Amino acid sequence: MRLVPHADTVKRALSAHAAIGLLGGALLYLVCLSGTLLVFYQEWQRFEQPDAPEMTRIEPAAAQRAVETMLASERGKPATTHLYLHLPVEHLPRATITTDHEAVHVDQRGNLVEPEENLWSEFLYGLHYTLNLPALVGITIVGILGAMMVALAISGLVAHPRIFRDAFRLRARQSGGIALSDWHNRLSVWTLPFTLAIAITGAIIGLATVTAYAIAQGQYGGDLEAVYAPIFGEEGEADPAPAPVPDVAAALRYMEREYPQVELTYAVIHDPGTAGQHVQMVGSHAQRLIFGEYYAFDAAGNFEGTVGLADGEIGQQAAASIYNLHFGNYGGLPVKVVYAILGLALTVVSATGVYIWLGKRRRRGVDEPRLRAAWHGVVWGAPGALVLTLLARLTIGNQAPFTAIFWIGLAVAVAGAIALAARGESRVLAPELSA
Amino acid sequence: MTAPASSILLAAIAAIAGVAVLRFAWSKARRSAALNGLGWLLLLAATLVAAQSAGAWGIAIAWLCASVAALAILAVAAATSPRGRASVSNRRVRMLAEAGEPRQIARRIATFLIVVVAGMAASIALGIAFRAIALGAGWSEADANATAFFAVPVIWGILSFAMLMQERRAQLLTLAISGLTLVPVYLSGAW
Repeated sequence: MRLVPHADTVKRALSAHAAIGLLGGALLYLVCLSGTLLVFYQEWQRFEQPDAPEMTRIEPAAAQRAVETMLASERGKPATTHLYLHLPVEHLPRATITTDHEAVHVDQRGNLVEPEENLWSEFLYGLHYTLNLPALVGITIVGILGAMMVALAISGLVAHPRIFRDAFRLRARQSGGIALSDWHNRLSVWTLPFTLAIAITGAIIGLATVTAYAIAQGQYGGDLEAVYAPIFGEEGEADPAPAPVPDVAAALRYMEREYPQVELTYAVIHDPGTAGQHVQMVGSHAQRLIFGEYYAFDAAGNFEGTVGLADGEIGQQAAASIYNLHFGNYGGLPVKVVYAILGLALTVVSATGVYIWLGKRRRRGVDEPRLRAAWHGVVWGAPGALVLTLLARLTIGNQAPFTAIFWIGLAVAVAGAIALAARGESRVLAPELSA
Repeated sequence: MTAPASSILLAAIAAIAGVAVLRFAWSKARRSAALNGLGWLLLLAATLVAAQSAGAWGIAIAWLCASVAALAILAVAAATSPRGRASVSNRRVRMLAEAGEPRQIARRIATFLIVVVAGMAASIALGIAFRAIALGAGWSEADANATAFFAVPVIWGILSFAMLMQERRAQLLTLAISGLTLVPVYLSGAW
């Protein structure tokens, strides 16, 4: 049996690999770079606001008091559709209430202490999730990039028949393009399981809306939520009639009593202050990839059941596992550190791919200093622009225009690199012309 | 119920040992089927032990250990690599025209539209077809919908690679066949 692909197949695969890689190019690099940093999303939030109250747990009565105070403070504003109470967890030991209007930190006694200030972390999240574009467009583009990474992994394997045999051969000090090529190929091979895991999960997250829309049109009369309902559960029946604040404390006490092994991450109130309101607890399970299970309660705090993300249909468990597998939130700090290292390796792979292509062209006599300079601008300008945004966070504060700073900074880096290359070209050409 | 630490540790050790054995096997001047086999067998054993004791979480942990071990070995290879200059492959990939060649802008745009835009539509069509097959096979609605969500990006990744390997006529045929899968799905009422 012949396992080595035919030379023509290899040649075509290499063309396909280059075409996909160059098409994804800078965007793929930005998604890899921002994703590497976003592994520490919780830690960045603590870095941004180090003085926010922290605690290992919040008493149910204190949580209830915080919810009541928050809802009372929002009287006169349009009613919030959801209230999220983030509960203290190991890597983000803070209680924070978020509504449609604001987010506020809570102290251990249930007092609303200060507004949440994590807009730099949110900017980074937006960069990775949507490239700071409007949600649907951005997330779909990022989803497409995920699918392209799958195609890059397949085409890369077919285009390099010796890639496994040479998997440990890293000639890092060889010149003439060997080192660059070796770094690209070796890191690609050993990040392959990680690459496939994050590419597929990222593409699923990114393309879910488009896919759900297509399914909804044919099967659910255009109702997008109905596509997700069999997996993540249904929203309750809305009833706008006024009602007292639900008993979140009772739900918390029930969870502590009946599910002591579950680490609660959120208490969510749907349609708070209305007769249609209900409470949902989100609890994570140790040694599972699922982000958690939904525990449903009525407004009086009576337990109504779970959705089945932990022990329901395989499809539910698999869908609930996508997020943690993608972001590396399933094994504490050690797994996060490994994800950051592998993410960095993937960022290097995406950067070196374009350099390899440019190097091959140069060695064949097609020298493109401006194109190479533009890529230098992207590769070094993007982390540089991110550092600028972080400096802006530290000097200007939470309200600094992070998105504008990043994208303008990146554009300036690319344009500057091209301008420098053009100046260098004219210096070389000038003596030749005068001669 | 959490898995015993010993079985996770065993899976991690097997994964790291698998990578180490492969490193040794691939460093030999002549291929050793036995050593190659042992390396892959250890990685398989790590996967099975991890899956048995801690499911998908265990597999993820075991493979992270394998990846870290490989990167550590690579770091040593990079640090001890001798200086030199060797010839590197200059295989042309024909992404851009070179001097004197026609740019073929229309052909390149057509390829982009076929592979990316039409390829996405074809992948969604196939994802919906998979969902219909799952429902037809008696799977639950949750499993069927999740199948569609998982299938679309994987199919698109494979389809885009496959189409880039094909000539234009074969690309169009691939798209047509993918799109046609919706016909029986539509006629059966599953979409």
